[in-house]
Amino acid sequence: MNDCEQRHILRATALTKVFGEGESQVRAVDGVDLQVCPGEMLLIMGPSGSGKTTLLTMLGGLLRPTSGTIEVDGVDITALKESRLTPVRRKSVGFIFQSFNLWESLSVQENVELALNMAGVGGRAASGRARTLLEQQGLGRRLQFSSRNLSGGEKQRVSIARALANEPRLLLADEPTANLDSKHGREVMHLLRDLSRSGDRAVIAVSHDQRIREVADRVLWLEDGRIKDIGQLVRDPVCGASVEMDNAIKLEHEGRTYYFCSRGCSWEFQQSPERFKAGAATSSVTA
Amino acid sequence: MTVPLARRNLFAEKGRFAISVAGVAFAVLLILIVLALYRGFNRTGQTFRDLPGELWVVQRGTSDPFHSISLVERERLDPVASMPGVQAVVPVLARSMNFDAGGTEVSARLMALDVPADVVSDELRERYLPPEGAVIIDDTLRRKTGLTTGDTAQFGTESLKIERVRPRSPEVLFQFVFVNFADARRIFGVGDVVMYGMVILEPGADAQTVAGAITDRDPALQVYTKEAFAASIAKEMDETFLPVISILVAIGFIVGAAVVGLTIYTATIERTREFGVMKAVGGSGGYLYRIVLSQAAILTGAGFVVGAVGAWGVARLAIEAVPEFATEFQLTDLAGVFVAAILMAVLASFMPVRRINSIDPAIVFRA
Repeated sequence: MNDCEQRHILRATALTKVFGEGESQVRAVDGVDLQVCPGEMLLIMGPSGSGKTTLLTMLGGLLRPTSGTIEVDGVDITALKESRLTPVRRKSVGFIFQSFNLWESLSVQENVELALNMAGVGGRAASGRARTLLEQQGLGRRLQFSSRNLSGGEKQRVSIARALANEPRLLLADEPTANLDSKHGREVMHLLRDLSRSGDRAVIAVSHDQRIREVADRVLWLEDGRIKDIGQLVRDPVCGASVEMDNAIKLEHEGRTYYFCSRGCSWEFQQSPERFKAGAATSSVTA
Repeated sequence: MTVPLARRNLFAEKGRFAISVAGVAFAVLLILIVLALYRGFNRTGQTFRDLPGELWVVQRGTSDPFHSISLVERERLDPVASMPGVQAVVPVLARSMNFDAGGTEVSARLMALDVPADVVSDELRERYLPPEGAVIIDDTLRRKTGLTTGDTAQFGTESLKIERVRPRSPEVLFQFVFVNFADARRIFGVGDVVMYGMVILEPGADAQTVAGAITDRDPALQVYTKEAFAASIAKEMDETFLPVISILVAIGFIVGAAVVGLTIYTATIERTREFGVMKAVGGSGGYLYRIVLSQAAILTGAGFVVGAVGAWGVARLAIEAVPEFATEFQLTDLAGVFVAAILMAVLASFMPVRRINSIDPAIVFRA
């Protein structure tokens, strides 16, 4: 039994979700096994309709699986009644949404405070913690702003601060960069990676955004509700992009193989190999 | 945080909030005005409480002074005057009748007191005892008829001058016109028959004992204390108006609850996603219900305040337009309507709470 096996934050076993009956039956998630460990950032990718969001919804305790089990922070949530499930969601899971889902009638600070209030933290303790979290997200000057007046990037950072309010060990992010421009998307991406690395916490993100691959520790490919192998990811030493090893442009140099996203990067490397050799590294592997 | 959140949810649509407050206020106003009118009408008969007699001797079988006729031969009252505990017996003539107030027929209750000379005081004379050929009216009748001091009005065959105008009395059904006793005898044409005997007691005399002694002596007579005599009018009012008032109050309550319920329900539907997010991030059912209840309480509270102030204002305005619009606001009624408003808020929250229960928190992942 390895270290992760003992310390896992989330473990899903033979997770299956079937919608409908008879001929109209759809197996949205089909026998998924999954384990996430502290410090890990897991990216789940796949085409539209592959079951990514359904999987994430079940992992967050918002949808009951047809069969299989989910264990969050040592608690089997599949058998819990809704009244017992609510505190688990409140304390152990933080949600980050594609469309932010802020409470727009509230200020930035109140959005975070409300999440704390729901967990029984009120008054100065709640406002102090909300301020600290928002300042950490660089929103110290936006505390009293109406949340509807923020930019997309700011809204997502408020959403992240809210998700962190009750110090959950598991963060679930649904397309966290989908509504952001590339600059803010990159910021959020790195922020999620930093969150997974700091503290006893893991992040699971569902995304179509290829850029997230760069920061993910592990990438799962979900198709027709099942996890499939997508091959090893490697880093282009010139531009830094993650590329699939099998589809990359290969170049042998001094007994070592280098992988590139394009012929341009390969050509640039050949002009001055010494400049780029240090940047070549394998970035991640599949489940 | 539930209260600020509830407040902002409501204030997000200021127009709808204002209309809803107006709806609740209208319901509260309706309930308060109806209750105040009932209280005001219930003070009919106050004149009997204000007059100096503690007991009223009437013909046996007389149920009340307004709807039942009492005819008592004057000689039956004479022995009462000499009974222990009795200071004086005042023969009283009284009946409702129409009179001509400058070309307009007006209904009023004429009353004449034949007060013994040794009992007459300046105060009695000022309020109830006009000289022959004159009458004393109250301010409500003055405003209704336009008659004022020095004017004359035609009572039957008698043309009588307005001697004085008394301050407004709480009599709603009939305003009292105090007439000289001699004039009343001519107007009514009743000879030696009077309607009542008003008994003024010696200081310290027990009213019940004297009343018992009077009826023991003359079984054809019946005796009311002045409270019971005045209350007999209220009893009639209760039997007539209470069922109507109850229905009007119930309608007001239903209208108020419906307005609050509809507003909160609409606000809940509009914020289905936000409530879904709350459920998703761990908001308990109780926490969400508190938000809905707070919304209902804020709306109802604002409607109550506006409605209460509005009711007071309407009553003030109405009395200018309709002199008989007698209202009396009692603190117990206000408290009762406040409790009803709380009940309204709780009932109005029922449907929105059911709606919240049915929200699927997984909605948060739908784009």
